[in-house]
Amino acid sequence: MGFTQVYDYVAGKLDWLAAGGPIEGTSAGRPRAGEVARGDVPTCGLDERLGEVQARVRAAGWDACVVVNQERVVLGLLRAKELAGDPASRIEAAMRPGPSTFRPHVPIAEMAHRMVDHDLENAPITTSDGRLVGLLRRTDALRTAHEPHQAEGDST
Amino acid sequence: MTRAAPVVGCAACGKAIDCCEFCDRPDCPTAICYHCLGVALSQATPELHDHGG
Repeated sequence: MGFTQVYDYVAGKLDWLAAGGPIEGTSAGRPRAGEVARGDVPTCGLDERLGEVQARVRAAGWDACVVVNQERVVLGLLRAKELAGDPASRIEAAMRPGPSTFRPHVPIAEMAHRMVDHDLENAPITTSDGRLVGLLRRTDALRTAHEPHQAEGDST
Repeated sequence: MTRAAPVVGCAACGKAIDCCEFCDRPDCPTAICYHCLGVALSQATPELHDHGG
């Protein structure tokens, strides 16, 4: 067929999608969680104090912060409720540990629908090995889900 | 370490779970278990091509 370089991605197509790898195909134009998630969400480490993090998060105009390790693996989440805690407490004690995370390839319409159903303000999007892609905000998910997009008119 | 007793049932399969796998709330009225959430999200993900390639 003329291919000179062929690779076998052993982990499979789903793993590629879950890692946020680039994709092609008739459905590739549909917006997905990883594209809408905000990669500029504030992050912090386990050993910081909540007071320092509160100041940083508010200065950046956010009401949420993702707790990560040095490899950006998600360890916890500080939503508005947790951020309002005692400024002297350590992040490890203040955070919501092990939050549910979602993969970048999940269609944004599905995430938006479920975030409304579950009254969830935001959701961390991670690769399949737990590294932070970004924080998906419900407002962003809903807006994108209702925008016309490339694949909508496709007959596929 | 003791584990908290299950407090909700999965809205899809009825399995007793500690909290909703989607929103982490123990009192979620539409709680869903890990398995059913995985199936639902995967079914909502379209194949890249009609032929599934």
